[in-house]
Amino acid sequence: MTLPCPSGPSPSGEVADVLIIGAGATGAVAARHLAKAGFKVVCLEQGTWVDSSEFWGDKPEWELMAQKRWHPNPNVRELGDDYPINCEESDVNPLMFAAVGGSTVIWAAHWHRFMPSDFRVRSLDGVAEDWPFTYEDLEPFYEQAELEMGVSGLAGDPAYPPMKPPPLLPFPIGKIGRRAAKGMNALGWHWWPGSQAIPPSPYGGRNACARRGTCMTGCPEGAKASTDLTHWPAALADGATLVTGARVREITVNAQGLADGAIYLDRSEVAHRQRARTVILCCNGVGTPRLLLHSTSNRFPDGLANSSGLVGRNLMMHPFAAVTGSFDEPLESWLGPTGQAIQSMQWYETDERRGFVRGAKWNCMPTGGPLGMRAAYSGKALEEAWGANLHRNTKRVFGHSFEWGIIAEDLPDEANRVVLDPELTDSDAIPAAKILYRNSENTERLLAFHLARAREAMEASGALGMTETTLMRDCGWHLMGTARMGEDPARSVADHSGRTHDVPNLFIFDASLFPTSSGFNPTATVVAVALRCTHHLIEARRSLEVAAL
Amino acid sequence: MSMISDRQRAVFAALADILIPAAEGMPSASEAGAEGSALDRVIELRHDKREAFFRGLNKAADRSPAAALEELNRDDPDAMSAIGLFASAAYYLLPEVRALVGYPGQENRPVEAGTEPDYEDLLQAVLDRGPIYRPTPDGDA
Repeated sequence: MTLPCPSGPSPSGEVADVLIIGAGATGAVAARHLAKAGFKVVCLEQGTWVDSSEFWGDKPEWELMAQKRWHPNPNVRELGDDYPINCEESDVNPLMFAAVGGSTVIWAAHWHRFMPSDFRVRSLDGVAEDWPFTYEDLEPFYEQAELEMGVSGLAGDPAYPPMKPPPLLPFPIGKIGRRAAKGMNALGWHWWPGSQAIPPSPYGGRNACARRGTCMTGCPEGAKASTDLTHWPAALADGATLVTGARVREITVNAQGLADGAIYLDRSEVAHRQRARTVILCCNGVGTPRLLLHSTSNRFPDGLANSSGLVGRNLMMHPFAAVTGSFDEPLESWLGPTGQAIQSMQWYETDERRGFVRGAKWNCMPTGGPLGMRAAYSGKALEEAWGANLHRNTKRVFGHSFEWGIIAEDLPDEANRVVLDPELTDSDAIPAAKILYRNSENTERLLAFHLARAREAMEASGALGMTETTLMRDCGWHLMGTARMGEDPARSVADHSGRTHDVPNLFIFDASLFPTSSGFNPTATVVAVALRCTHHLIEARRSLEVAAL
Repeated sequence: MSMISDRQRAVFAALADILIPAAEGMPSASEAGAEGSALDRVIELRHDKREAFFRGLNKAADRSPAAALEELNRDDPDAMSAIGLFASAAYYLLPEVRALVGYPGQENRPVEAGTEPDYEDLLQAVLDRGPIYRPTPDGDA
């Protein structure tokens, strides 16, 4: 297939001071603050705007549509805006959403800062890499992010250093949270009311959460913090240009080796060239290395910013396991928010006597409606899944259960990586990403330990029955590490501010930068790091080497 | 116009009653009316499963429903999965069934202003145990 050549400049016709690729969490943060600082911002996004009326959470057919149209796996959704991903050689499927707001449109809105130890993994545990900055360096950006996203939670959690309270009080922990908390108290284990980027009361132009528990298929109330609501309106008001349906094929470089724009295809498959003095990648831990690896030239034959050979390597996706318990009392276990009634960091920090390093955070989650429970029965013997057993299982579990979900830290491993697939392409003939990813022995030990503790927690809460998910295949919500930051160009792709070592006006602001993954849902840190990178770019605007156009 | 013939609807009802029989105080699929407008709605929305669903119905026509399901479960899991999904989805869409299992749907139930915290009586034990984090190493912060 012949790739179309650019037919002319982009429809906007302008040269951007800053070209942002991707309008998700990090692209939105960068656009909002750079536009406010006076930069001429253009953002290219392969997806489109999603209107809240498109979500099914307030309709009876919600669970039916959650399994297809709003599934987090692009290979299941098969939408035109998605690109396919070859997962044949991966233990875990990467999950994402292509739209203005990116994956925040369908995230659960768990909100957690990383812990101080997460930034010093090498120093404290002798593995992986330290981050090029500390928790304390990032703290002011966490505080800013919590205000911008409208975070609800309770200050004083002893799992963290003292911190400013988030702007909103937490949700009630509800019947499932109380049942779980009583079990944890019986064992003397840590728990805390859940923290999420969802407002229990109106906040920043967003509505109050209706607690439908459908966060992960889009919020019909316009309550949950997704960056199409929290950041893009302000960015556009300050003059940013957002081009939707624009799939970037490659980043272009000039004779001086500086990034000078990108070639993208619109939804009519017409190619355009967007020129820019500076380029920022915000395409997530799969999309960013895919684009860098595909942006080859005589000067950069192995892909852009890849002199270290680390572009695409060290992919971390947070293997996820869970224990679901059923109880003898009605627990209203369809009630939201989806993310977590309570959380626990009892087993977060390293204790090498357990036979592994690092740890995991737990979230106590509701279990949804009666149809979703059926999904686990596919492929089982008829008499086990159906017949009178269907009614018995539904009455036993539906409305009477909760889940302890386990977010396992996986350590960076160069063998776990994103590469370009030699055959599979997206609808624009751009090579698809292929994922090579296997769980390590450390991860397997960690998961086995945590599952055993979660079973104990369920027993202490009085569970009558339990089911266990030892590894959820569709769990790669958190895509990290594939263009990591550090000060040594031989050991990292970008510096602490997201500037790539090889191309001084090419930046990466997404979680590809993360040297390690922590055991937390990472969006708080994703947003805080993007804010920090944006702050440094604004500070450096007078001295920055940019492409002359 | 319906996407399913009367004959296919009858085959589906017979299969669905094997999967979802009257038991444990619950009606069977056909007693609840799952093969009616609820099934039409499921077929309309999940076009990705239609081909497998109708393939399964065609294979089951003129067969004993129980034997047909066993065979599909063994030899055509995609068709079996589609029939099972359509049967359970249609069944749990029905208001009567939702009422019987105590499911109000995904409710609009915002937190009422002035709601008192429901965790304070449980939290003191956690606070009493004190900090559990490892700080940034000395000289590094």
